[in-house]
Amino acid sequence: MNPAIDQDLSLLHLVLHASVPVQLVMVLLLVASLMSWWFIFLKLFALKRAQRLTDSFEREFWGGADVNAMYQRVAAERDRAGEMARIFEAGFREFMKLRRQPAQTVNVIMDGTRRAMRATFQRELDGLESHLSFLATVGSVSPYVGLFGTVWGIMIAFMGLSSVAQATLAQVAPGIAEALIATAMGLFAAIPAVVGYNRYTHDIDRLANRMESFMEEFSNILQRQITSK
Amino acid sequence: MNLPADAPFVARPATGLAAGALAVGVHALFLLLLVAGVSWQTQHPEPVMVDLWDALPQRSRPEPAPAAEPTPPPQEPEKPPQPVKVEPPPRPPVKEAPPPRPPDIALEKKKAEAQKLKQLKAMQAADEKALADAARAEAETMKKLREKELAEQKKRELLRQMEEDELMQRMVEEDAAQEVRVAKVAEARAAAGRRQAELAGMVGEYRNQISAKVRGNTRLPENLQGNPEVRCLVRLLPTGEVQSVKITRSSGNPAYDDAVVRAIQKSSPLPLPAERDARAAFVPELSFVHRPKE
Repeated sequence: MNPAIDQDLSLLHLVLHASVPVQLVMVLLLVASLMSWWFIFLKLFALKRAQRLTDSFEREFWGGADVNAMYQRVAAERDRAGEMARIFEAGFREFMKLRRQPAQTVNVIMDGTRRAMRATFQRELDGLESHLSFLATVGSVSPYVGLFGTVWGIMIAFMGLSSVAQATLAQVAPGIAEALIATAMGLFAAIPAVVGYNRYTHDIDRLANRMESFMEEFSNILQRQITSK
Repeated sequence: MNLPADAPFVARPATGLAAGALAVGVHALFLLLLVAGVSWQTQHPEPVMVDLWDALPQRSRPEPAPAAEPTPPPQEPEKPPQPVKVEPPPRPPVKEAPPPRPPDIALEKKKAEAQKLKQLKAMQAADEKALADAARAEAETMKKLREKELAEQKKRELLRQMEEDELMQRMVEEDAAQEVRVAKVAEARAAAGRRQAELAGMVGEYRNQISAKVRGNTRLPENLQGNPEVRCLVRLLPTGEVQSVKITRSSGNPAYDDAVVRAIQKSSPLPLPAERDARAAFVPELSFVHRPKE
C-alpha cells in the first residue's frame, strides 16, 4: 500500500491497525472510561437522593415533629430513610436504652449516644464515598496509560521509518495518528473522572458537615432533656 | 438485648442499571461526534516527480508492434534417405554342362574328362565371380546416382525456400515500415494533443500552487468584508523570483490591496513549472487574480 496515495484515516481503521500494545491500552482505557462514567452516574443519583432525603428530614425535624413518632417511622424503614435519619435513629435508640438503665450519669448517657451516632455517621460516610477512589485513580492514571500507548505507537512508527530510504511525513503520520488516539482516550477517560471526583468529594464534605452539625445539635437536645427532668 | 434492632444498617450498593446505560450512552454519543464531526479521510495530491532536462527528450516512440515476423514455414522434415534397395544380384545363369561325350579311351578319357571338368568348374567359378562383381558395381552406381539426385533435389528445394523467405521478409519489412510511418504520424498528433493537455494541467496546477502560497502569506486586514478580488500583474524572473507587482484592478480596499502586494512579494520565489513551455504562461509576466477565500 502506498501510504501517500490512499490513506484511510478512519477511526476504526486506525484503531484496528494499531499495534497490539496500543490496542491493549485502548481497550483498558475504554473499560476505565465506561466504568468511571458508570460510577459518575451512580454517585450522581445517590448524592442527589441523599441531599433530598437530608433536606426533607431536617425540615421535618426542625419543624417540630414528634421525635418519638419520627423514631418509630425511621426504625421501620431504615433503607428508605436518609443518612441523617439513620444517624438520628441510632443515636435516639442508644439514648433510650441508656435512659432505661438505672443510675446512669448524664455523661455516660451522652457519651454512649454520641458514640452510636458517630459510628453510624462513619458507616454512612463510607457508603457515600464508595467508588470515589476509582474515579480518583482513573483521573490520575489514565492520562499516563494513554501516554504510554502513544509513546509506544510513535516508537513503532519511527522504527518503521528507519527501514525506508526516503523518509517522508506520510510514512509516520498514520502511526502517530493511531498512537495519539490512545492519548485522546486517556484524556477522555480522565477528564470526567477528575471533574466527577472533585464535585462529589465536595458534595460529600458538605453532607458530612451537615450531619456533624446535626449530631451536635441533637446531642444538645437530648442532654437538655436529661437535665431538665 | 435486642440484637436485630441493634444491628447497624448497611446500605446496599445500588446496582445502577440506569447509570450503566447512561454511561454507555455517553460513550456512544462521543463516538458519534468523533465519527461524524472529524473528517478522517484525507486526500493527498499525488506526489509530483519532476525531471529536469536540458533539452526536450527525444520522444521515444513505442516500438511498432513486433512486425508479424513470419514464422519460417516449418522445414519439411528431412526426408530420411531412402534406403537404397539393393537388388539381390541376379542369379548367374547356370551353364549347362555339355553333355559328356562317351569316352574313347577309358583312362585317357577319364583323365581328360577330369581335367575338363576341373577347367569347367574353374571357368564357372570365374564366371560367377565376374557376374557378382558386375552386379555389385551396378548397385553401387545406382546408389550413387540416387544419392546425387536426392542431393540435387534438396538443394533446389532449399534455394526455393530461400527465395520465398526473402520475398516474405521484404513484404513484412515493407508492411512494418508502413505501419511505423502511420503510427509515427498518429503518435505525433496524439503527443501534441497530450502535451497541450499536460501543459494546461500543469499551468492550472501551478496557478493553484501560487494562489495557495500567496494566500498563506496574506494577512487580511480586519475590516475586510466579503471576498473581494484583486487583479495584479506580477513580473517574474525565470527562477520565480518576483521583480515587481502592479495592481491592475483594485479591490477598492487599499489596505487589502497592500496586503496582497506584500503577500506576493513575501511569496517570492513563486513555484514555477520546470517545463519550459508551461513556464511561458508565467514568465515574464503573470496576471494574477487573488481572492482572500477560495
